[in-house]
Amino acid sequence: EGKSLRDEEILQHLPVGTTATLYFKDLGPQIGWTTVFLIEYTGPLFIYFVFYFRMTFVYGLDERFTSSPHPVVNLACICHSFHYIKRLIETVFVHRFSRGTMPLRNIVKNCLYYWGFAAWLAYYINHPLYTPPSYGKKQINFAVIMFLLCEAGNFSIHVALSDLRRNGSKTCKIPYPTKNPFTWLFFFVSCPNYTYEVGTWISFTIMTQCVPVGLFTLLCFIQMTIWAKDKHCTYLREFKDYPSHRMPIIPFLL
Amino acid sequence: MAAAGSGGSRADNGYGGQQARRRKGPGALATGYLVIYNVVMTAGWLVIAVGLVRAYLAKGSYHSLYYSIEKPLKFFQTGALLEEYLLIAKYLPGIVPSSVVLTAFQVMSRVFLTWAVTHSVKEVQTEDSVLLFVVAWTITEIIRYSFYTFSLLNHLPYLIKWARYTLFIVLYPMGVSGELLTIYAALPFVRQSGLYSISLPNKYNFSFDYYTFLILVMISYIPIFPQLYFHMLHQRRKVLSHTEEHKKPE
Repeated sequence: EGKSLRDEEILQHLPVGTTATLYFKDLGPQIGWTTVFLIEYTGPLFIYFVFYFRMTFVYGLDERFTSSPHPVVNLACICHSFHYIKRLIETVFVHRFSRGTMPLRNIVKNCLYYWGFAAWLAYYINHPLYTPPSYGKKQINFAVIMFLLCEAGNFSIHVALSDLRRNGSKTCKIPYPTKNPFTWLFFFVSCPNYTYEVGTWISFTIMTQCVPVGLFTLLCFIQMTIWAKDKHCTYLREFKDYPSHRMPIIPFLL
Repeated sequence: MAAAGSGGSRADNGYGGQQARRRKGPGALATGYLVIYNVVMTAGWLVIAVGLVRAYLAKGSYHSLYYSIEKPLKFFQTGALLEEYLLIAKYLPGIVPSSVVLTAFQVMSRVFLTWAVTHSVKEVQTEDSVLLFVVAWTITEIIRYSFYTFSLLNHLPYLIKWARYTLFIVLYPMGVSGELLTIYAALPFVRQSGLYSISLPNKYNFSFDYYTFLILVMISYIPIFPQLYFHMLHQRRKVLSHTEEHKKPE
């Protein structure tokens, strides 16, 4: 019943009388968030390479270790790897987690999801019978620019959010736009990091013109919308002066 | 997966999974609509049952009876989707969350079998396995919908309750066997015609093999069927022993 106490609350300062009853809840085996993210993100990085380099067992013996004639396939590999390397760097240097751990069961579920999808989409992009996008260079260049902008945006937001917790405090503060233009999305949206993330995957879908990538993007969008709505509700609850025109993930819409 | 349906556990009312005390339940108007819906569904499945019997008597054999009830079967089985939507959108009150997932599963698998297998692969429509699951579904649904009807009217005969929580012991394996045999019979025709399959290369860089998909569906019955079956056995013990306790003090 009720919310649990925060890590930094001191027993002496709690608003109780001379006796207090403390309830403990066994959360089960836990694992640190940083560890989880490191495992979740390293998987797709290397799994993609298995398909990119066309390891023996993937596309049959005739195609092993060949490379694709399409430059977009190399580009896709670079973008995909860049994305996950960026995530790994952020996990180690940028993110500050409010809660230290999560249940151990989650890691199996999460890894299956991330790794499984990475394998599925890598299979099609690096397939010998892969067909490049219909609108050729125009489509690919547009996608690359959108990809870079969204990645920069996502990174800016993560840095901004991390700065809110700079002095080591674990309390929640309202994020506001800073001098960095990418953070101006905060005017419209509570969770622009999710907005940019969806943008990244949309650009990757356009770049590769591949249905499995599109499906993955759709699932990401759904999941992030759920997370964004939760976060948005938390903000609304905790801060009475929260900007009322902000939407959770898509400006004006969602 | 044919089943006696597993919505609602303890209470007599299939829709209100709470204690069997003075339940708030749906308002009068909603109850009215629900009763009508369940009566219509009961009638629909009775029509299918009667259709089967008449066709059997007319033909003198039990082969190829599918054609005589094809349309009402499709109509009423797909109608169950509406019911599932109502459950999920919470227009039907007091639902136990687990039962929504389970019935969703059953409805999806039944609709899949009706449309994606039996309707789509014409060659299997003359198989006896089709009759096997149609009969199982028909009996199950007649009992289930009359169970809901009587519960809503707060006049549930013990016989119906007993039937709903007992006949599944035979009907469920019967239905599952029929379903599996039908899918298995469809396999060579799917392979031959490349039904619902798309192969590389194509501009969307996607491939889907319906044949493999059907095999995976068949394999998925192995973990799922026992779970559902034992869940219902468990429900049976709870529901039927609960009634016994109520009877004793009298």
